[in-house]
Amino acid sequence: MKYMILVYGSQQDYDSMAGRATDGRPAWSAEDFAALGAFMESFSKDLAESGELVDTRGLTAPVHARRIQLRNDVPVVTDGPYAESQEVLAGYWIVECDSFDRATEIAARLTRIPGLDHHRESFRGREVIDVRPIADSRADLDG
Amino acid sequence: MPESDVEDLLRRLAPQVLGAVVRRYGHFDTAEDATQEALIAAATQWPGDGIPDHPRGWLITVASRRLTDLLRADQARRRREDTVARWVLPEHWLAPAADTAPADGDDTLILLFMCCHPAVSPASQIALTLRAVGGLSTAEIARAFLVPETTMTRRISRAKQQIKDSAVPFGMPAASERAGRLAAVLHVLYLIFSEGYASTSGPRLHRTELAAEAIRLTRIVHRLLPEDGEVTGLIALMLLTDARRPARTGRAGELIPMAEQDRSRWDKAQITEGVALVTSALARGPAGPYQLQAAIAAVHDEAPTADSTDWPQILALYEVLMQLSDNPVVKLNHAVAAAMVRGPRAGLDLLAGLDADQRMTAGHQLPAVRAHLLEMAGEHDAARDAYLAAAARTTNLPQQRYLHARAARLSDG
Repeated sequence: MKYMILVYGSQQDYDSMAGRATDGRPAWSAEDFAALGAFMESFSKDLAESGELVDTRGLTAPVHARRIQLRNDVPVVTDGPYAESQEVLAGYWIVECDSFDRATEIAARLTRIPGLDHHRESFRGREVIDVRPIADSRADLDG
Repeated sequence: MPESDVEDLLRRLAPQVLGAVVRRYGHFDTAEDATQEALIAAATQWPGDGIPDHPRGWLITVASRRLTDLLRADQARRRREDTVARWVLPEHWLAPAADTAPADGDDTLILLFMCCHPAVSPASQIALTLRAVGGLSTAEIARAFLVPETTMTRRISRAKQQIKDSAVPFGMPAASERAGRLAAVLHVLYLIFSEGYASTSGPRLHRTELAAEAIRLTRIVHRLLPEDGEVTGLIALMLLTDARRPARTGRAGELIPMAEQDRSRWDKAQITEGVALVTSALARGPAGPYQLQAAIAAVHDEAPTADSTDWPQILALYEVLMQLSDNPVVKLNHAVAAAMVRGPRAGLDLLAGLDADQRMTAGHQLPAVRAHLLEMAGEHDAARDAYLAAAARTTNLPQQRYLHARAARLSDG
């Protein structure tokens, strides 16, 4: 069974991780950022070793997004459609494991990101990680 | 690491970096600024710190970061102004592509097509090509074209806005329009070369860097499209023309006409290369205008003395060229060739046909050529008047001095 683990961040989060403080949000120190990198690396390595990792990707800063929507039946592109504080998808893991509970266990480890301790305040109430079962076929969706 | 080596490397990498950033993130206009800033950062740091192991990757990373910063600031500002960047998706983006170019190709060609897009005015095409593909700074381009930097900045941002508004996707033009778009690219490269070779204004003919830059860029196009006869013809034409540059001006910067040039000062290596290129292109199929002009330049360059020039051959080439183009300068040169083969009267008769051509009435070329032919015909008074008329029509000081000197020589005699 495949599950997608999704994590979120705003443009402001990307900025503070890139070393720039924004309104009420301190910049990440080099140490915190290195610790985050090391944590993510070992997290994905463990999953690869247990054979549960299918794919993992981080997304670039929300400022690079394009949105296409129909306006009066005409497709219109908006560059950088998000507000700075808006939480958007920042990265995902696709894991293949025995149960939803196992996938949840994996995702829960992400709440223990070391650098987060120093940024607890800025993330207060926003530490959201989602786990979604992936449909194996059209039949799953029809059901 | 000497600074000139760093500069050469940066100029070579500039279009590759811009191409990679635009391909990945879009925003040609902002990405171009970000790439320039990355190039400046490298030009400042590398001579002291050494070149990084992966210079291209370093530049792409720095340019991408800078792009993120610029976009972020731009989007924050726009939001405060309560307008959001929106653009209507062009109709052709919704249909499958007519043909797909391989993504791993060199982006330099795509960038050239973008910079020379028909939505952009010719002056802006030139400026943008030199900056985005040539990797020159706005200040350097402004200096080369003898305009204030602010003027050049405006010209470049206007060009980028025009490209943005046209919503041209980052990719090769469709097969149906590729030939026309390539012709526009070659024309821009030729204009850059001409601007450097025969600067149209200013006190000195010292803008040879532009000619060298045009040759460098055309070499890149030739490397990417080795089978294209007109690209080969253009690079040959530039090399064969530029080969005469060392003999074209005297010690004091005065212009020396081809017939009086010291041919031992012509660049033999460039002539050999140019002749080989044009020969290979002509062997491949019907000749286009650049190949014919290169062939003419080759006939001149291969003559050991002015008197041994094969004028009948040149006249024949101009006659073919006139069938392909309605360019008055071609007609002018055809008249000169006719004069050399059949005598000055034949040339002067052909010039009469150009008097009514609007494109000729402002420039100095027509009276200058007429003056030469009148001098050949022994009509010295008329020749002198024509030289003076020509001098009055050019703003280029070396050209003015040359024309006045010719006129004075006739008065003395």
